[in-house]
Amino acid sequence: MIESLLSAQLLFAAAVLGALYALIGLGLNLVYGTMRLLNIAHGDILMVGAFAAFWWFTLTSLSPLIALPLIAVFGAAIGLALYFALFRHQLAQELDASVIEGRSLLLFFGVSVVTQNVTALLFTATPRAYRHLDEVYRFGDLAMTGNRIAALVCAVTLLIAMLIFLKKTLFGIEIRALIQHREAARIVGVNVEKVQMVAISIGFAVTAIAGTLLSMTEQTNPFMGFRFTIAAFVVIIIGGLGNIRGGIIAGFLLAVMEIYAVTIFSAEARSILIYGGFVLAIILRPQGLLGVRKRA
Amino acid sequence: MNRKQLLGLAATAMLVSAALPTWAADPVRIGYTMARTGLFAAAAPSQEQAYELWRDQVNADGGLDVVGERRPVEFVSYDDESDPAKSAQLYERLITSDDVDLLLAPWGTPHHLNVAGIAEQYGFPIVGNTAASVAIREVQPGNIWFPTSAIPDQIGPELAAMLGYSGITSVSIISNVLPFSQENLSFLTPALKKAGIEIRMSENYPPDISDMTPLIIQIKAADADAVLALTYPADAFLYMGQARELGVEADLQFLLIGPTIDAFGKAFGPAADGVVTLAHWSPEQSAWPRAKPFFDAYVAKFGQEPDYLDSALAYMSVEILQQAVATAGLDKDALRAAITDGTFDTINGEVRFDGVQNSVTPTAFVQRQGDKVQLVWPKDIATAPLQ
Repeated sequence: MIESLLSAQLLFAAAVLGALYALIGLGLNLVYGTMRLLNIAHGDILMVGAFAAFWWFTLTSLSPLIALPLIAVFGAAIGLALYFALFRHQLAQELDASVIEGRSLLLFFGVSVVTQNVTALLFTATPRAYRHLDEVYRFGDLAMTGNRIAALVCAVTLLIAMLIFLKKTLFGIEIRALIQHREAARIVGVNVEKVQMVAISIGFAVTAIAGTLLSMTEQTNPFMGFRFTIAAFVVIIIGGLGNIRGGIIAGFLLAVMEIYAVTIFSAEARSILIYGGFVLAIILRPQGLLGVRKRA
Repeated sequence: MNRKQLLGLAATAMLVSAALPTWAADPVRIGYTMARTGLFAAAAPSQEQAYELWRDQVNADGGLDVVGERRPVEFVSYDDESDPAKSAQLYERLITSDDVDLLLAPWGTPHHLNVAGIAEQYGFPIVGNTAASVAIREVQPGNIWFPTSAIPDQIGPELAAMLGYSGITSVSIISNVLPFSQENLSFLTPALKKAGIEIRMSENYPPDISDMTPLIIQIKAADADAVLALTYPADAFLYMGQARELGVEADLQFLLIGPTIDAFGKAFGPAADGVVTLAHWSPEQSAWPRAKPFFDAYVAKFGQEPDYLDSALAYMSVEILQQAVATAGLDKDALRAAITDGTFDTINGEVRFDGVQNSVTPTAFVQRQGDKVQLVWPKDIATAPLQ
């Protein structure tokens, strides 16, 4: 058992899945942290990224990795369009966070349904897939498909870049300030509206990129997003709502739980353990893994 | 308007009317619902596209033959949102409010079972297609028929027979926990035991599984002759990609649902060679002269291959209805009698019904071989040997 738990293959599987979960969670966390918007259409943005990658590859025969900046801009544009159309006015009213959360939940539910059905109308709901970087590389007992290596490398690079951006750049510090305390950030001169626009753009761009990476390894269809929305919420709640670093750690933790739960117990136990762990995390550490419990 | 202008106008009107298709008869209105949104939406297009192809072909051919009179076909369809209860409500509306002349089937077993009650209530005949469960035999016969032979209590023994014939003595099984996989597992397990085939491992997995590496490591450790993965489409893709990565080297890999979807071939190319799956139709069967033209027309219209199970079944169902209408017309009693007693020439060969079930088409399996999908079992309809 110990030998199989230390298997490089399981570690690789957990790393790929964890990096993708962390990336998906990061996008949701940025949007929630800065604006308290509960984006339950998050997985649908990922689906749009996956479809963009599929059509890019189908029409140009070029690697979707080349199109990552383009797809990121596309994702950001969707985020900005939704921001101006649905949320800017509400956020300007400085409503209570719980009101914003409730309204955004309903609005994003509508966005989710519309996104899925418009995609199905445009492209039909037929599953789509393409073959890219599918060579298998073997190093001793470890086997890795090219597209899974690419997904891991891209996701980890992006996560590191985002952490550096948030820690070292003025804009990143402003985003963190807004996440920590909206009013205090405004008082010290943070341009809240500008930061919100940047945060939603980055959040949606990162999610569209995650969709592109997933499209290389999975089939794509207009209704694929829901399970990733669920995964993203599990990640950011375990990591702490709005806690970027905690969310990234939680992404990897979720993947480790998923892979090793199947190995130690059984595949049937996977969902019970993950969601059981999720409920336990809410009970024991409602502030998240790295969060600090706020005093009343 | 002077006389010259009037003549010009008349001539233009004649030219325009000559250029447009003219239908002397009223259209035959055909109703159905489809899971265009919701849980099953990704699976349904392969069925609806077969309907659309048939409608276009019939209209291009001069219309539907209703006892000698040619009438255009017009669809009245709704999205049932993958909800069987909603589907039943909409079929009632199609019959009572939309006043359709004929009905086609919705997608999937639960929808068929719900709609069967409506068909029975109104005495409205429906030729089903994409339902595959032993539960269909519990439906009151007379107003609904099922052309499929992919019924779990037949699949299990046939699969065991094929494995035994191929010299397979041991298997590893992984199964989705969703109903069709589990129903198949319940009949497959005793059939394998009866055939003397050792089950080295049998594991269930949830439908939202994101990575199968641990399962595939277990499959490799079990080192069985064959892997039987009782998949749904999404996990068929996941299994195939990761089994390929980990180098599963079983003599035979069987995936329940997934490999006949066009995207499966596009995702894996030659790596999917040799994969066996459930289907009883192939365009390669020359004994069924309508099979290849259907395949070619589908590819030409939609730019993708039909699903070898769902698209084929959907097209068979409209062929049966078309041939019954040609002899019986639109009267429901006459139509019921024509379907019950008739023998039909379809893309899947001859079809006859015994009660609700197709009594001719055998339960069969296909294998991806190069860029073709060949029937490999049973031997009497096989288009290529199992590799």
